[in-house]
Amino acid sequence: MLLDIFDPKAPPRPVGIDLGTTHSVLAYVRDGRPAAVTTCDGGPLLPSVVHFADHGQVIVGKSAQSYLEREPERTIASAKRFMGRGWGDPQLAALGTYRFLPPRSEADAKVVHFDLGGASTTAVEVSAEILRSLVRSAGEQLRSVGGAVITVPAYFDDAQRQATRDAARLAGIEVLRLINEPTAAALAYGLESKTEGTFAVYDLGGGTFDITLLHLEDGVFQVKSTGGDSALGGDDMDRALAERLLRAMGFDAPESAPRPVIALALGSARDAKHRLTESESVSIELPRRGGGELTLTVERSEFESWIAPLLERTGKAARRALRDAKLAAADLDGVILVGGATRVPSVRRYVAELFAREPLADIDPDLVVAYGAALQADQIGRDTAETLLLDVLPLSLGIETMGGAVDRILPRNTTIPVGAKATFTTYADNQTGFELHIVQGERELARDCRSLARFTLKGIPPLPAGQARLEVSLNVDENSLLQVHARELSTGLEQSVEVKPSYGLTDEQVEQMLEDALDHGEEDFERRRWAEAQVEASRLLLATDKALAADADLLDARERQEIPEHVARLRSALDAGAEPRTPGAQASRVQALSQALDDATHAWAGRRMDRAFAGALAGRDLRSVADSVEHARGVDSHLAEHQKGSAP
Amino acid sequence: MVRMANPFETLGLAPSFAIDPTRLEQRQRELNRAVHPDRHAGKSSAERRQALSRAMDINLAYRTLRDPASRAVALLETIDAGASEEAASSDLSLLGEMLEQRERLEESRRERDLNRLHELAAGMAAREQRVLGDLERAFAGVLGAAPDAVERALGLQEARRLLSELRYVRRFSEEVSAIEDEF
Repeated sequence: MLLDIFDPKAPPRPVGIDLGTTHSVLAYVRDGRPAAVTTCDGGPLLPSVVHFADHGQVIVGKSAQSYLEREPERTIASAKRFMGRGWGDPQLAALGTYRFLPPRSEADAKVVHFDLGGASTTAVEVSAEILRSLVRSAGEQLRSVGGAVITVPAYFDDAQRQATRDAARLAGIEVLRLINEPTAAALAYGLESKTEGTFAVYDLGGGTFDITLLHLEDGVFQVKSTGGDSALGGDDMDRALAERLLRAMGFDAPESAPRPVIALALGSARDAKHRLTESESVSIELPRRGGGELTLTVERSEFESWIAPLLERTGKAARRALRDAKLAAADLDGVILVGGATRVPSVRRYVAELFAREPLADIDPDLVVAYGAALQADQIGRDTAETLLLDVLPLSLGIETMGGAVDRILPRNTTIPVGAKATFTTYADNQTGFELHIVQGERELARDCRSLARFTLKGIPPLPAGQARLEVSLNVDENSLLQVHARELSTGLEQSVEVKPSYGLTDEQVEQMLEDALDHGEEDFERRRWAEAQVEASRLLLATDKALAADADLLDARERQEIPEHVARLRSALDAGAEPRTPGAQASRVQALSQALDDATHAWAGRRMDRAFAGALAGRDLRSVADSVEHARGVDSHLAEHQKGSAP
Repeated sequence: MVRMANPFETLGLAPSFAIDPTRLEQRQRELNRAVHPDRHAGKSSAERRQALSRAMDINLAYRTLRDPASRAVALLETIDAGASEEAASSDLSLLGEMLEQRERLEESRRERDLNRLHELAAGMAAREQRVLGDLERAFAGVLGAAPDAVERALGLQEARRLLSELRYVRRFSEEVSAIEDEF
């Protein structure tokens, strides 16, 4: 393996992270190709399991897995299933055997808390531990880790996406972008370079099955439909095989065998499953109940018949997804395999039959999503990227109207980022407050959709019904994350409220968690703030220098004077305190000066954007003129040749 | 009701009802290439904010112009700013006709007459195409070479009438496919 030579000036390397239900992977691009970092477990896959030990120590990965049996209540697996879920979420009961702490306040109820016995944690914090471990490993191998593209399932709603971003923030990772897992898999196969096509992504992981139909047109991936089974995966294959093993060992009721025996059978089954991908038959050595040894031979064909019912279930979900997208298997241009369980030969055969074509399977199905994310991260980090990945809103956004129906403001599959405004009027005389309820989903009634935010706009001037007008803006950024603004228009007296969605964490909560997570106390926290302030300020100075070099002519007289002053002040604050005695105070100072420079350049940035915009428009027109000229010339020369030919 | 800035201006397109969908999509992608937040990832937060807000405008304008009904609304706002969108008095003959059609729809649903249902759907689809063609002509007349004030006013009135017809037809088609799904 090539080792990267340590270069202190090397720019931070952007990475891609597949934050999975059963395991997680971090990848980066080296010499134009994606590669996965070796995690603390020695391989590319880090089991998404976190154990919280008594003395406050946190253990992640394989070593945490060993606690699943011993201390299940202090060991969280599959935290991803709990992302974005609040107390009282009907899904919680179906999601496993964890104990949850009842909320202490209304704000508390928005996030579900695992009861660790004397302590508590959240899915966001658990995910942050996994991310932290991955980035730590990456740091050892890459020296300098930049921002990250993190993948999420295509069907993740706003709450689940926000939770994912919060986890990254908590782990101190800058999120470059959240992208859909099936889209990442398609990127890894380079499908974005095609102009058009429809692809199925068949993702059979350890414990979940997802099927996604993607339509690609001109570099834009649209999710046509998604489906799956949240309790179906490779683990079920292990269980099917383990059941047979337990019977052979003498346990006629396999489910009531002692737990260590079940664990042993499961381990042997998993091992046999792996060996059966290569061999036609395997022999398994097992202890016999009541003493003695036993050697068992399992044929591949036997194993295949045992797991056939599981595959049928994936087929059913896949057919339903096709129906939802109004597509037939023959309409597809390709099928991608994702997830370790798709290594099983009969799964590949089954998929090939289901879609009447050979699936794409050249890339390791456990790594393909992280690879795609890494490729995307590499593109974002570049000024001269060739491809632009446009995403669409996964689920419609709307506002509850009188009577409980949903006024759909932004329908699903709208290209993002996007913002839309809707106006509402008061319905009672002298109404001074207006309650708004923002929901996400495809159902007609608000109560059947996901509730995202509920708030009351107060201080509306008392007017006859219908006179006061409220403008509500729903803004969705490139990661599908929502912000809501509301203002009152009628009086010219503009009120603006920014609404945090009613789930997830506030900035203060994240700050608090960050402080709590740092076990080395106040000083480290301040040093970290100082380091962050330095990075942010350097980036801002660099960006400003670049902008001055390119577009200084767009500055007005005041800016021409003020911006260099702000730059000089910020620069001297940075230089003065390379190793400040009071890092916290210095960080605050640099942050304030950065903010001032940022504010001073705001209007200018708008003008620069207008110029880029005009350039894009002009470029288009010039090119289309050139195209038509070229075309015309083609006809002319053809005519000319024709005339030449026919000339005597 | 969704309000927005003039989407034609946002995308640098001349106001018109006849828009080539391929060209519209190309334009959206080109502009996104210039302003999408991914392209400004390393810049100052002022620039990133500006980029984000422009990308949002572009994608909203794209969505507005892609759909003929919202494109017609935007065009009416562009040409005839200030006039209320609901200015067109509801067309009584259209209303009566639609009620009649709805009765037929109800009948075929009761009798589970799938053939008749398909017929109704095909009829509505053809009608939608006709209305779209008429809309294109009406707008072309208003936007064409210097129409006089009367022509213009009549053209706008006609466009409004056609827009409400388009909405009726669409709603009806949606109901038909909902019933088709029941079978």
